[in-house]
Amino acid sequence: MGKSYVLVWSFFCLVLCVPKQAVSETGNGDEKTVAQTHNTASSRRESESKESKETKEITEAEKKKGGAFEVAVSAKRQPPPSRGAADYHVDVGALGNVPRKNAAELLKLVPGILLTNDGSEAHADQVFLRGFDAREGQDIEFTVGGVPINESGNLHGNGYSDTHFLIPEVVATLRVLEGPFDPRQGNYGVAGSADYEMGLSQRGITTKFLAGSYGTFRGLLLWGPHGARDGTFAGVELYQTAGFGQNRDGRRASVVAQYEGRTENHLYRITAQAYIASFHSAGVIAEEDFLAGRIGFFDTYDATQGADTGRYSISGMLESRVGKLVVRNQVYAIARPWTLRENYTGFLLDTQEPTQAPHGQRGDQIQVASMAAIVGAHGFARLSGEILKRKQEVEVGYYARGDFVHSTQHRIEAATQVPYHTEADLESKLGDVGLYADLNLRFLEWLALRGGVRADLFTYDVLDLCAAKSVSHPSKTNPPLDVSCLNQQDFGKYREPFQRSTTTGMAVLPRMSLVLGPLYGVSASVSYGQGVRSIDPIYITQDAKTPFANAESVDAGLSFAKEIGPLAVSARTAIFRTKVDRDLIFSQTAGRNVLSSGTTRMGNASAARVTGSFFDVAANLTYVRANFDDTGLLIPYVPEWVFRFDGSLFGELPYDKLRIFGKAFRGTLALGATYVSPRPLPFGERSNPIAVVDLHATVGIWLFDVGFVATNLSDAQYRLGEYNYASDFRNQAFPTLVPMRHFSAGSPRQLFFTLSINLGGGK
Amino acid sequence: MKRLLSFLLLLGGLAGCGNTTGGARVSFSAAAAGPADATGGALSFVNQLGYSVTLSKARLHVGAVYLNQTVPISGAQETACILPGTYVAQVLSSVDVNLLSASMQPFPERGRGLGTEAKVGEVWLTGGDINATDDRTVILDAAGIASRSGQDFPFSARLTIGQNRTIPQKEPAYPGANPLCKQRIVTPIPAEITPAEGGTLVLRIDPRVLFHGVEFAEVPKVSDTPPLYRFSDRNDNPADTSLFQNGLRSRANVYTFSFLD
Repeated sequence: MGKSYVLVWSFFCLVLCVPKQAVSETGNGDEKTVAQTHNTASSRRESESKESKETKEITEAEKKKGGAFEVAVSAKRQPPPSRGAADYHVDVGALGNVPRKNAAELLKLVPGILLTNDGSEAHADQVFLRGFDAREGQDIEFTVGGVPINESGNLHGNGYSDTHFLIPEVVATLRVLEGPFDPRQGNYGVAGSADYEMGLSQRGITTKFLAGSYGTFRGLLLWGPHGARDGTFAGVELYQTAGFGQNRDGRRASVVAQYEGRTENHLYRITAQAYIASFHSAGVIAEEDFLAGRIGFFDTYDATQGADTGRYSISGMLESRVGKLVVRNQVYAIARPWTLRENYTGFLLDTQEPTQAPHGQRGDQIQVASMAAIVGAHGFARLSGEILKRKQEVEVGYYARGDFVHSTQHRIEAATQVPYHTEADLESKLGDVGLYADLNLRFLEWLALRGGVRADLFTYDVLDLCAAKSVSHPSKTNPPLDVSCLNQQDFGKYREPFQRSTTTGMAVLPRMSLVLGPLYGVSASVSYGQGVRSIDPIYITQDAKTPFANAESVDAGLSFAKEIGPLAVSARTAIFRTKVDRDLIFSQTAGRNVLSSGTTRMGNASAARVTGSFFDVAANLTYVRANFDDTGLLIPYVPEWVFRFDGSLFGELPYDKLRIFGKAFRGTLALGATYVSPRPLPFGERSNPIAVVDLHATVGIWLFDVGFVATNLSDAQYRLGEYNYASDFRNQAFPTLVPMRHFSAGSPRQLFFTLSINLGGGK
Repeated sequence: MKRLLSFLLLLGGLAGCGNTTGGARVSFSAAAAGPADATGGALSFVNQLGYSVTLSKARLHVGAVYLNQTVPISGAQETACILPGTYVAQVLSSVDVNLLSASMQPFPERGRGLGTEAKVGEVWLTGGDINATDDRTVILDAAGIASRSGQDFPFSARLTIGQNRTIPQKEPAYPGANPLCKQRIVTPIPAEITPAEGGTLVLRIDPRVLFHGVEFAEVPKVSDTPPLYRFSDRNDNPADTSLFQNGLRSRANVYTFSFLD
């Protein structure tokens, strides 16, 4: 108790007790950034605070020095130096008008992203990034304002990252680094990293209502006090839906409040967040059953599937500048309850064991649950100085995180919903402490070398509460029978059912980027880096060697960024190659990721964006080939071609007669389109392609905006996920034991109407 | 720059290649039949105990057929009835096979499988759920006459696999060692077969082998006029046990799998 009190007190002291030192500008003031001018309707409506003017002045001054890679940055907190063509700093801007159900869909603004979800809206989206089936985050380091989202020790997937707690409207910027090229990237940064930065440009009180298809209702209340920074805001979201088809109903609530302050010398921020959600999910459908008319496209086999989840977090950040030294520290604490019920295989896996009482197939539903407490801190000190008449920087940083997780996985009897078997029961104490050094050296005006090295020490202390699951020669007088976690060894010799395993491992990860240019707006870069992903605690054995997977990635790219007349134009293309020594592939029968052999991905990612005074359009295209190293075969489920288009028109309607009391109507029309080529499936098959178009239109005047949203405009009946594996959903007389096609249904067309009212926003 | 161009060309080339995750799913027709030398009429033979047997009727209800790429350990005594993830072909429709006919008797539905070599076959002798606690479906319906040393044994057999085939569990530590599903699945039947698209899986069943070890004199006599011996359909009689365990559930010679491309 005493230690807890000291920890809590230290936390608030760090956040609130701002030292009063005489220092100058905070942030990475030297960072070369070009702020693309996304003159969105919302940003033009907002009242310009003093701070906004400051930011503009800074960025305007820096434009002349800017490198072509550092585009589209408008965050108040300066981002780290760009790592080349794979480093995407996305200012959402007017592209925020494109319909997006959640913050994860903002990821589509960068190349190579495909999102699927077989679970529900309380289940993390499955993310594919540049050939990685990152599942629910295992290969991408997700952070929001520097606070990690990945969950270590989640049995469903180590690194599970559910971003549904993020309210999309308060996401100001997004940095996606496609590859492990920045020493700041930590655990799970194998395919790359995604860092959301929260902020609210629309000041005043904004209320939004959405209602439409399938009993969907969403209410949103946002508050951004005048005179405060964009980083100061509060938001509350309530959402519920009956869901399309069967068993997709659910509801969620999310609250986030953040205060960001700035003195002459310091930037500080405190954030609190809470999120609860409960959704049912439909799961998968066997293609044969659908084609034979035994089940509908949007139906479900098991109406008890779903998820119940929550997330509660607080964090504080303090950044100070003393002369040429910038120091930042951030601390956070997260509580994360989580339960998932899913059934991929029906009635297939409950095989009769000799020691069990005779039984039939009782059902394969998995109930996975975890309760995680996560605490951590990270920070850095960055020193800048002038050498060769150019500003040079060196940064050293630390990362410390502890995950304390209790996770279980049970099989549930379909008829009674009673658990009949314990598959895992783990208490894990997982530690990750990292150090890094990062150099930002500018040898010439057009030549910069950025990078350094990171070292992470991972510690595992895993108490397996169900360590003994079988015994070769059970006691004849006291057999264990149906008990899952046994307390006897051969011939009835007693043992405790638990076993502890501990191990440690250190990963040393060099990362480097060479950036040339810009010359006439064109820059070139070459990057190399190694990433790391800690191993699922379930695979930990005593003193296991290298309890993590290592990834090695190289990337070479060209980019162009320039303001041409009234247009801000940016484009980039990069080729990449990533090799992972031990990959994780999802197993429908195990219900979680399982270890596989090494893999290699190579391909090309390209993106372009043009922004004008009344439009903002972006497109990206990715091709990737992902193979297993030992067989050369394709990695199933990974999309080869992904194309995404986002476009938005905005502005005042050019009709003077439509003015009311002198006020003009404003409008937006936004469209998002996704195409995913047929994906390789197990057994040499290909999935169907995915082609979906979403539309959003609004008209507004004075305080009010009304809108219309259509998702899947063409009402295409598409399969969001397709898989080949064995199952038995008892729709036939005999079990289907040969791998067959299964799919999860994509959403049909949905129509929504929106109403937005802004008070005190200066409209 | 040349290397970059070469790399891009290589990427383009790879995109056009017929790359794959390996393997293939296939569909095929399936049929069952009696032995190739069956004529459609009565089938005569001499069993291993010297009985001259003439079968006038022999029908077998086959519930489903599977091919598996894993050979069960110790004759399936220590493995579960179903081995997830190892099946390469399945035929999920039932057929009543006239074992006295060599002609192909198709399963109502096509089989599905993978283009992967199977090692063993499984014949599921059940009328429904393989785990059902009881099943009154007649699996084998046979009749005929057996003769030895001038004595005739007109017989009939209507075998089911339900509660009557439960094996009492002697070891309390292994209450699930002999589930009923194991009595209904005949495996491992040698079947080195690679299913191919459009082919036909053929299951031949030789009724002669069913009766090879049957001591007809031990079959209960149920009628004197006319004389009739009927298999008891329980594991309480050596003749019945021989027909069921060594005949119907025989992993060798009774069932033969082949695949016609």
